[in-house]
Amino acid sequence: MDIWSSVLLGLDTALSPSTLMYCFIGVFLGTFVGVLPGIGALVTIALLLPITYHLDPTQALIMLAGVYYGAYYGGSTASILLRLPGTPAAAVVCLDGYPMAQQGRAGVALFMTTIASFVGATIGILVLMLASPMLAKLALQFGPAEYFGVMALGLVAAATISGGNPIKGMAMVVVGLVLGLVGIDLQSGMERYTYGIIELNDGIGIVAIAMGVFGVAEVISKINNVEAGHVHSGGISMRSMLPTREDWKRSAMPLLRGSGIGSFFGALPGAGPTISSFLAYAIEQRVSRRPEAFGHGAIEGVTAPEAANNAGIQTAFVPTLTLGIPGDVVMAVLMAAMILHGIPPGPQLVLEQPDLFWGLIMSFWVGNIMLLVLNIPLIGLWVRILTIPYSVLYPGVLMLVCIGVFSVTNNTFQIWQVIAFGAFGYVLMLLRFPVAPMLLGLVLGKLLEEYFRRALVLSRGDLMVFVERPISAVFLALTLSLIVWGIWEAIRRKLRPPPTAGRRALTSND
Amino acid sequence: MQRFDYRDLIGGLFMVAVGLYVALHAHANYPIGQLQRMGPGYLPVVLGYMLAGFGLLIVLPALLRPVRDDGEPFAVRVFVAVLAAMAVFALTLERFGLAPATMLLVVIAALAEPGVRPVRTGLLAVGLAALGCIIFIYGLGVPIPVFAWGN
Repeated sequence: MDIWSSVLLGLDTALSPSTLMYCFIGVFLGTFVGVLPGIGALVTIALLLPITYHLDPTQALIMLAGVYYGAYYGGSTASILLRLPGTPAAAVVCLDGYPMAQQGRAGVALFMTTIASFVGATIGILVLMLASPMLAKLALQFGPAEYFGVMALGLVAAATISGGNPIKGMAMVVVGLVLGLVGIDLQSGMERYTYGIIELNDGIGIVAIAMGVFGVAEVISKINNVEAGHVHSGGISMRSMLPTREDWKRSAMPLLRGSGIGSFFGALPGAGPTISSFLAYAIEQRVSRRPEAFGHGAIEGVTAPEAANNAGIQTAFVPTLTLGIPGDVVMAVLMAAMILHGIPPGPQLVLEQPDLFWGLIMSFWVGNIMLLVLNIPLIGLWVRILTIPYSVLYPGVLMLVCIGVFSVTNNTFQIWQVIAFGAFGYVLMLLRFPVAPMLLGLVLGKLLEEYFRRALVLSRGDLMVFVERPISAVFLALTLSLIVWGIWEAIRRKLRPPPTAGRRALTSND
Repeated sequence: MQRFDYRDLIGGLFMVAVGLYVALHAHANYPIGQLQRMGPGYLPVVLGYMLAGFGLLIVLPALLRPVRDDGEPFAVRVFVAVLAAMAVFALTLERFGLAPATMLLVVIAALAEPGVRPVRTGLLAVGLAALGCIIFIYGLGVPIPVFAWGN
């Protein structure tokens, strides 16, 4: 099937009225939670997950994906106006976006981030369209040994590269794998770590963990720490948003460079949009003819990272959809949603269910065009939302989490799980352990075990299968070197004098 | 300055403890098997020791250097209020219905913040209870009553 007929097939799905509606709901909610610091795309997707059980899988997926990329459009709004990133990837936009707002150019910054997001997403989607079918064909030749290698690499990469202490990241992956043990072992039928609690037989719910460690723990740490924005909401008129010709000229190349960086790093498991945006900023500063302007409201410092993180989100779908390997936690939850809906991601999805696959990709175009409309003419709405104080928001978040998780199985046991993981997640946060690798470990753990066993069955128990097959040998060698590097790096860093106090998000790039 | 990096010390020891517990529990209760024919206890044992190993790698460097602790303090009041609000919600949801459970949740959660704002909290409680009932009971058909009296 050539690409044009695929595109038409996809448009057929994406443009049907009900799909358009779910796509709109997704990107609207995504922008909403992206604008608000303290509620993320992940919790929103986890909340919507039980609701989507009643929907057609394609529409459900389109809506959930819309929340994900919609959040990144909204994320920069709070960065610019309040110097408070709405999403982690938007943290770097604070550096130049906030100074721009102080100079009275908030409107221009908001306009240009939306344009940058759109350009980045457009390029990212093009890469996704071209790369996925090729990768899917390659992946058809993968056996269980190769899948095991790729997955191990993805997990270890996510744990070690994503900033912070690599050993803690790996420890958290193992914690996630351990949590995945709970329940009835499919091989032997034996109950493991259930302590006679019947509800635990099916394992710990991914929705409950996601809501606990990302929703409740986040709320606990944000209360009394987030102030409502003092935004001059009258200040953003359509006229004040128009960039000058100088702004356009300065932004053109950074937009393209940012999109390129984002497209590449977004597709690497473990790298993802946040790292792409930091990298894009660093590179712009290096190639700029006026590096001293960075940090004082340079427009390039806003547009390049925004283009990078939005491109990265789109290309992050490449490994998720074609190989079933999520690049970050949100992708992991999306993948769990796909599995729940009976459409496990992998090369079969790309090649044998083209209507679903291309429908999803075409919905990204549709969704991004909706986001353009939502974020330029309607920016005033989002700015006003920023003025809602957190003390009004968090009870609502807690209520939604509680009822939402209850409705997964109509059982209050789910709420108790969320409470337990909320407490656990908050303690982990205080002890500076990253929680994202834990969730990735939980999602990928079962698959990892499955592929390991299957590879051994095929090789009649010969472990050499993992090193004799060239692709899997390369992946495992990379995994091993990452582990060694991670341990070395962590110990080296510990023995150096500590860096001066600063925001972790802003120093993790150094 | 502190003599040790206490946060890493506690975190690392916690990982060692959890890891050892997971491994020993598996040793005691589940058949291990061998690599080629893994029993249900094989993976837990491996993962448990791995976790304990990573824990040690966190503990040892933490003992070697002093740090300036600039991390978040433990927000006890917020922690207790938020979790208690959710626990009360879980206990009252099926017995008394969604509306009372939500109102209790909002009121208890409001205790997380210093100062009492009775009017705002009251309005928020009623508003969120109504919103929750509309979305979840009438909109999505979640099978719980709006109000119920003891059963």
